[in-house]
Amino acid sequence: MADEVNNVAEALKFMVLGMGVVFLFLLILVKVVELQAKLIAKYFPEDAPKTPATPAGNSADEEQRKVAAIIAAVTEFRNKKS
Amino acid sequence: MRIKNILISLFFAFFVFTNVAQASEHESGSTPPTTEKKAYESKSLSQLASSWWSTTGINALIDFDDGETTSEPKGADYEREMTWFESSLGRIIMIIIVFVLFYLAIAKNFEPLLLIPIAFGGLLANIPLANMGGEHGMLGIIYNMGIANEFFPLLIFMGVGAMTDFGPLLANPKTAILGGAAQFGIFGALVGAVVLGFELQDASAISIIGGADGPTSIFIANRLAPDMLGAIAVAAYSYMALVPVIQPPIMRALTTKEERRIVMKTGRKVHRLEKLIFPIVVLMLTLLLLPESAPLIGAFAFGNFAKESGVVDRLSDTMQNSLINVITIFLGLGVGSKLAADKFLVLETMGIMIIGLIAFSVGTAAGVLMARLMNKYSDEPINPLIGAAGVSAVPMSARVVSKVGSEEKPGNVLLMHAMGPNVAGVIGSAVAAGVLLSIFK
Repeated sequence: MADEVNNVAEALKFMVLGMGVVFLFLLILVKVVELQAKLIAKYFPEDAPKTPATPAGNSADEEQRKVAAIIAAVTEFRNKKS
Repeated sequence: MRIKNILISLFFAFFVFTNVAQASEHESGSTPPTTEKKAYESKSLSQLASSWWSTTGINALIDFDDGETTSEPKGADYEREMTWFESSLGRIIMIIIVFVLFYLAIAKNFEPLLLIPIAFGGLLANIPLANMGGEHGMLGIIYNMGIANEFFPLLIFMGVGAMTDFGPLLANPKTAILGGAAQFGIFGALVGAVVLGFELQDASAISIIGGADGPTSIFIANRLAPDMLGAIAVAAYSYMALVPVIQPPIMRALTTKEERRIVMKTGRKVHRLEKLIFPIVVLMLTLLLLPESAPLIGAFAFGNFAKESGVVDRLSDTMQNSLINVITIFLGLGVGSKLAADKFLVLETMGIMIIGLIAFSVGTAAGVLMARLMNKYSDEPINPLIGAAGVSAVPMSARVVSKVGSEEKPGNVLLMHAMGPNVAGVIGSAVAAGVLLSIFK
């Protein structure tokens, strides 16, 4: 009987530890994600690769954008097909 | 000419010699089949008929002590002779249970993707004398191939990762906490199982059912209580299938009508980079805090990273379609092999099923209550229903939440909001699993 009581106490300790770690993990995750969102919003303004505001002088950049557009079109087409 | 003759005769002699040597080797190597062959004598027709009769299933079901042994996939030393119940009545009961599972899958549409393979595996495992769940049976081979070594659950996680869109979670990170609250079911069940008299280690393995996460349950059961794996896997998958039945009453009981009608704000648009970095962030946190969870979260993060990278569509497409389908077939049949009467119809199974149900209900309740609390203290309105999606049955419980929500208030779509806690629940139960593993290391 004493052993069983002990086991229950043990299980309760597991619960405290387990829930603690789960919440700790998720809280840190939430904080990191919030921070990450802020940093990205600051250094990579919304959808930088898609905005055509950049001057069209750079030909390599232009090329990349064309490729991106083609890929987007193809994936769109494929998605529609499936 | 002479030389040629000699050569031919030499070659012939060598050939005969090696043949004889091989034959004798064969004889000494595997005596049982040869002696059996030698023992064959002319049999009368009645003898033949009676020997056929003794190998029929009817006879195996009627004859109580035919010395059939339990089928252990690994040929383990706990293989023993079946009791009369296991080899006769138990099988009939299990076959009836299998038909109930078929009914639930086909007529009620409860996770048919899981239930059909599992139930059919159960049907095959209960065929007498065929020993399909044994070491050389089809089910046994599947079981050894990927379940006994925890491989299939990880592949499933990879596929789930590739299917998961973390957008809703990133748009509203706070909802991740709900995925944590629902893990209370796991630890509540742990206490419950210990009170019922299970050993701590077994209780831990059982309690993971509360996460409503089949792959994680199999993963943990393999490590902590391999002998209970069958019952645990079956319980976990049954409750995953029963999410639409078990959750709504609990959700309604714990919320008021006004709360259920709360409309949530649409989340902000999430930058592509955020989604790309997220799996790496989760993995880094795992690396720092809980390497024990690394296999599960690692596979999950890999699948998600492949999807969000956007450059390996072929791979991510395979992971979320072909690969996960193949593994689901294998996993289902393998788990189903544990529906054999000698594995399933034991007293422990009843305990495991009951604790699993309690665990799952407590998890749902904890998520809902936590969401209520958050709604009170948060400036943005939060519909408490989404807390129920904190159990990690993805995406089933999020769909259930959305359904209940739109029943209360047509046009109120909670699906995206519920996906946040839902995917956080997957991470949460993987973390909880890692904690339990670390305790028994």
